[in-house]
Amino acid sequence: MSEGPPRSQPSGEKKRRTSLWEEWDTPQEHWLLVGSHRDGRERSLLLEVAARIIFPTVLVLSLYLLFAGHNRSGGGFSGGLVAGQAFVVRYLAGGPMEVRAAVGLRPPVIIGAGLSLAVLTGLAPIFWGEAPLTSAYVSMTLPVLGDVHVVSSLFLDMGVYLLIVGVVCDLLRTLGAGIEEQSPRPRRRPSG
Amino acid sequence: MTMLVALPILLPLLAAGLSLVLGRFATLQRLLGVVVFTANAVLAVVLLAEADKSGPVVLQLGGWDAPVGITLVADRLSALLMLISMVVMLAVLVYSIGQRITDYGRSTSSTAFHPMYLVLGAGVSMAYLTGDLFNLFVAFEIMLGASYVLITRRTTATRVRAGMTYTIVSLTSSLLFITMIALVYAATGTVNLADLSGKVEALPVGVQSAMALMMIVVFGIKSAMVPLHFWLPDSYPTAPAPVTAVFAGLLTKVGVYALIRTQTLVFDHGESWTLLLWFSVITMIIGALGAIAQNDLNRLLSFLLVSHIGYMLFGLALYDVTGLAGAILYVVHHITVQATLFLVSGLLTRHTGTVALRGMGGLAKLYPAIALLFAIPALNLAGIPPFSGFVAKLALLEAGAEVGTTMAYVATGAAVLTSFLTLYAMAKVWVFAFWGKSKPPHPDPDPTDELIIGTGSTSRTMVSATSALVVFGVLIAVFAGPLSEISTRAATDLLDGGPYRTAVLGEEAE
Amino acid sequence: MLLLVTAHLVLAALLPTVSRWLGRWAFAVGAILPAVSLGWALTSLTEVLAGGTVDESVAWAPVLGLTFTLRLDILSLLMIFLVSGVGVLILCYCVYYFKPDAQSNSRTSALLVAFAGAMLGLVLADDLFTLYIFWELTTVCSFLLVGQDGNTKQQRRSSIQALLVTVLGGLSMLLGFVLLGEQAGTYRISEIVASPPAAGALTSTALVLILLGAFTKSAQVPFHTWLPGAMVAPTPVSAYLHAASMVKAGVYLVARLSPAFSDHTPWWPLIATLGIWTMLIGGYRALFERDLKTLLAYGTVSQLGFLMVLMGAGSHTVAMAGATMLIAHGLFKSTLFLVVGIIDHQAGTRNIDELSGIRRRFPVLTVIGAIGALSMAGIPPLFGFLGKEAAFEGFLESGTTGDLVVLVGLVLGSALTAAYSFRFLWGAFGTKPGVEDSSAPKPSLGLMVPAAVPAALTLLLGVVASLFNALATTYAEPYPAGDHPYYLALWHGFSLPLLLSAVVVASGVGLHLARDRVVRLGGWLPDFLQAQPGYERTVAGLDTVSYAVTGRFQAGSLPTYLAIILLTFVLVPGSAVLTGGSMPEELRLWDSAVQVPVAILVLTAAIAVTMAKRRMTAVILTGVVGYGIGAFFVLDGGPDLALAQFLVETLTLVAFVFVLRRLPSRFTQVESTRSPRWPKVAVSVAAGALVAVSALVFSGARQAPPEASEGFVEAAPEGAHANNVVNAILVDFRAFDTVGEISVLAVAATGVASLILATRRARRPSAAEETEGPRKSREVRK
Repeated sequence: MSEGPPRSQPSGEKKRRTSLWEEWDTPQEHWLLVGSHRDGRERSLLLEVAARIIFPTVLVLSLYLLFAGHNRSGGGFSGGLVAGQAFVVRYLAGGPMEVRAAVGLRPPVIIGAGLSLAVLTGLAPIFWGEAPLTSAYVSMTLPVLGDVHVVSSLFLDMGVYLLIVGVVCDLLRTLGAGIEEQSPRPRRRPSG
Repeated sequence: MTMLVALPILLPLLAAGLSLVLGRFATLQRLLGVVVFTANAVLAVVLLAEADKSGPVVLQLGGWDAPVGITLVADRLSALLMLISMVVMLAVLVYSIGQRITDYGRSTSSTAFHPMYLVLGAGVSMAYLTGDLFNLFVAFEIMLGASYVLITRRTTATRVRAGMTYTIVSLTSSLLFITMIALVYAATGTVNLADLSGKVEALPVGVQSAMALMMIVVFGIKSAMVPLHFWLPDSYPTAPAPVTAVFAGLLTKVGVYALIRTQTLVFDHGESWTLLLWFSVITMIIGALGAIAQNDLNRLLSFLLVSHIGYMLFGLALYDVTGLAGAILYVVHHITVQATLFLVSGLLTRHTGTVALRGMGGLAKLYPAIALLFAIPALNLAGIPPFSGFVAKLALLEAGAEVGTTMAYVATGAAVLTSFLTLYAMAKVWVFAFWGKSKPPHPDPDPTDELIIGTGSTSRTMVSATSALVVFGVLIAVFAGPLSEISTRAATDLLDGGPYRTAVLGEEAE
Repeated sequence: MLLLVTAHLVLAALLPTVSRWLGRWAFAVGAILPAVSLGWALTSLTEVLAGGTVDESVAWAPVLGLTFTLRLDILSLLMIFLVSGVGVLILCYCVYYFKPDAQSNSRTSALLVAFAGAMLGLVLADDLFTLYIFWELTTVCSFLLVGQDGNTKQQRRSSIQALLVTVLGGLSMLLGFVLLGEQAGTYRISEIVASPPAAGALTSTALVLILLGAFTKSAQVPFHTWLPGAMVAPTPVSAYLHAASMVKAGVYLVARLSPAFSDHTPWWPLIATLGIWTMLIGGYRALFERDLKTLLAYGTVSQLGFLMVLMGAGSHTVAMAGATMLIAHGLFKSTLFLVVGIIDHQAGTRNIDELSGIRRRFPVLTVIGAIGALSMAGIPPLFGFLGKEAAFEGFLESGTTGDLVVLVGLVLGSALTAAYSFRFLWGAFGTKPGVEDSSAPKPSLGLMVPAAVPAALTLLLGVVASLFNALATTYAEPYPAGDHPYYLALWHGFSLPLLLSAVVVASGVGLHLARDRVVRLGGWLPDFLQAQPGYERTVAGLDTVSYAVTGRFQAGSLPTYLAIILLTFVLVPGSAVLTGGSMPEELRLWDSAVQVPVAILVLTAAIAVTMAKRRMTAVILTGVVGYGIGAFFVLDGGPDLALAQFLVETLTLVAFVFVLRRLPSRFTQVESTRSPRWPKVAVSVAAGALVAVSALVFSGARQAPPEASEGFVEAAPEGAHANNVVNAILVDFRAFDTVGEISVLAVAATGVASLILATRRARRPSAAEETEGPRKSREVRK
């Protein structure tokens, strides 16, 4: 936010009361400053290191949520949203170029792929003569993993996951980077 | 055969996903869109034939019976309305493709337009085919979401504000809709429409009428019933011509369809409904008066849209077979005609560079083809014979006279008066825009703006798409006989919910 | 018959192309079909005179009562003589009247032929709706023919006036038809006339509505002013539409329905009063006109009043008079209009004051015109005289006071008619002092012949009176004839009608000679009673009402719209909930005590949002509300719901923050311009309270446990192979909803991208850019 230093406390009694009412939600410190990009501006070491550690962990958590959803808490929505948060952290740390580096495809492509996967999962049962969106249950024994039960609705969940990741990345691309590129960057002096 | 019921929804969604993936390949996107909508139209024909022959075509998705799973139902009404909607969407898509190629060249792709248009088509089909109240909500969400994007796409800073009006009002209506669904579920324990019709009867009368009235308000916002209509004339004219054509032709009619479906299937009113008759009267009159006061061509058409929604509400409110059949006929007629008029308006404004009527003139001599393309749907809308507007209006007048109560006569008189006012508004447009001295066209004021395009060029694609729609409208009049018979059969089915309920719930439903 | 009508319309559609090759001869091509119709009518003459009819029926939408039913009987036959006979003459006349290379010829020829077809269909129609369809088709053709290119204000105004007045009548007529059909149980005219429905309020209303249509079409007072205005159309058009055929449609309708309804209460009084009044007003106005065409127009108005009275009366002799005058009027009016057209074409003016010496220059034309005018005045041995005699005889017969009053009116009207006929003769052919004698070129034969034919027929039918007798008698058959049925003849002996005719002619001459004094007397009618200002004020009033209503309601303010929506929601279903609903018997305040602080937190945050002054605060408080709801989910035992709620809330917070970085920190509405908040607060509180109350009422009204929920829990483990019921619902039971909702997410992302990345969009290569290159840089910043 491009506002000046916090206002000093007013002296008189009357002034304090009005100022309290007007300013009761004025923050007393700055946060989420814009302008701290990688390209020659401020960088926060702590945030970047933390992002590097958190990012893969959070992604693994999101995948767990995806696969575990059918029998425990979780599911495609939660998994996708958590994965999205990982990308948000990365964006906060590194800026728009980070997001582009993290995901090679354009976000609309990811969104489209997720949607297509979900719909194809829905259409597939037709080829087996069942009503669309009927779920199939496959139970098999794999050499290393042992008994594996796969429900076809997992693929629907995967489509949902992909789509939500794509949506979050798209929001980062547009709301995050797009707004910045559009408006003239304020010439800020580095804050002390 | 039953599998086909899901295709008109799933195919466009799949195509939308693919369209997003293929964002850089314009030709593939266009091809995809045209193929999918053609397929949808063909599917609608097949479903209509099947439904007319052997009753509603029912598909229980996921293999789950109602009310556990979601049911898709294609009966005569759904299939007929879906057919008309898909044809209109196809024509508008072709028009839109033509416009884009003319303005920006063959290779410019748009990430947003084609996927959104396909999603809109999926939403419309879902709304017509669903037999589940919550699924209807999802359908509305899909339609509305796509429409938010389409209306705010490529707009100027001043007009995005009107787009926001539309968005916020629609979000409010969605909020009220989901509240209403929650209340319905709380009271009955189901959201399946066929199942609801049985369970609602057991509720106390006050709760029943409250539920029915909530549905009227919620769907009334969507279908622009007065006094819930104010958002429409403010927002529809701000979108480019093909977008407005699709909105005007389809979105409001989905609201009308939802009204018809819920009020006939879920509730049983018995005789004509005075409250709704009053609403229809004020909708007809206020919309028509609003149209007369306009200088902006698209705003005038938007007000006429509101006004003619009143006709459909009139037919529904009469609550007998002839009234409902008249309402169905009117919906079919109005979808086509209103979309055509907006497309023609788009053609006009490309030549004149302005939407103000007083800024146009002498267009009949300069562009006789467009004048003819305007004259036919304009006469049609005003109810001049022998076009479909006259047929549908006549059906409604006969129904009103048949019911015979004082309120029915009042509404019938209002219908006639509205017809006159519509003609007056159309005559004003004709006199200002097509007669008189031709005014020099306004130059292209903003080359990035998609609404006012004064480039003076209309490609053959655009004109052919519009002409095809005009011809389609005339065909509706020519085939008024079979259409009126199907509508009557559909109306009989609606009033007697038995076939629908039996098809969805199985034989044990009473 | 339907084939014939359709052929007219098809030919009309083809004529524009034809006229590109043949030029003005397209008119002649167009004349073919009316000629065929006339020939066919003549061949059917003997059959019809014997009392037979020709019927035809084609179904269109029988469910709605829309069937094209056509029927040829004596009345249709008479009208076909006018419609098709005069049509042929007019079209041939057009060949020589219009400029050969005029651009409008293709349109005029097509419209004239289309009109001829529509009129043919109208007079043959045996079904109420068929008649209406062709009725409105003629209205559309008339609108386009009067307006031409709409270049002059006069053309636009007159065509709109004709359109509005006739359509208003047409629509009320349609409503009348619907009501009448409902009462009669059928829409077939012949069946309705054979066994008319019983008199009653509904039938009377229907009849009044139908008469309204007839009166507007046939220019009766107070709807008559469109007819003189329509004279801006070219003369052949005026001759055809506004003299010979279209304006007769109302009279025709009255004639069609009279046998059945002439004794119903509203019928005769309404027709007689308005008809006589029209005759007098029209005749009176014709005495002042200086433009020959407008003079004839007012004369037509007057004669239409006369015809209305004759057709609506319902007695044998008067009916014979009606049939006679119908044809007579058609013949002499077309003659006169065509003569005026010739004068205008040759001399370049129609103004009485500028014409002089035509008599000497064009003697043949004068004779033709004289025949027409004298027939109009009712001078023997012309056809018009026969009709007038019959009319006077008819109203003398019964001797009732009503009829005698009508007779007086007719005599007065006829005197005025005679007066303006003489005025016409003097004005067109007389020699005016002080005006140069005309030196116009001689008119071509092609113009003279079509004008001469009706004149010749007028003379013939008048002299050989018995020629028309059979037709008139057949027409009058539905009415009881009495012992000595009337017959048309030039000489009935020294009877009262003859005396009346003499009085009429004498007064006519007198009125004309005293024209100066009469002219000075005119124009005294107070403004609010005059019809034309009345029309203009009505239209202006309509516009004012529209502006007022729309301006008042369409406020353009989003809060207003939302308030109205919420208010409707509160009032309409709300009143039903409050009056018809009842609270559930067992009401617990809370399920677990922890819910209370969470609820207080949520409510406080919600209220605080409305009081927030900074955007960030509002966003965060909204997030608090969301997290609070998530807490409710946790407390109620829905961990998946809570998880999703928390995650979504976090994501939306992040999205908001991204946007808020660029906006001013405080809400930017200035206090003074904001409308008072308390209405908004009241409405939103009311809506929220209603939802809360409804939730209680509706859940209390449940009769049985929820089938769907039980089904889910039951089917999840085995059917969906899931232990997490919520997930099973999402991706299995109601997977369709999920697919739909993720599409909405995709749409949302696309929409955001489309709005924000807008400036990178492509630009049209508009012509302006080439000359204004530097503007580009300014555009990008938007």
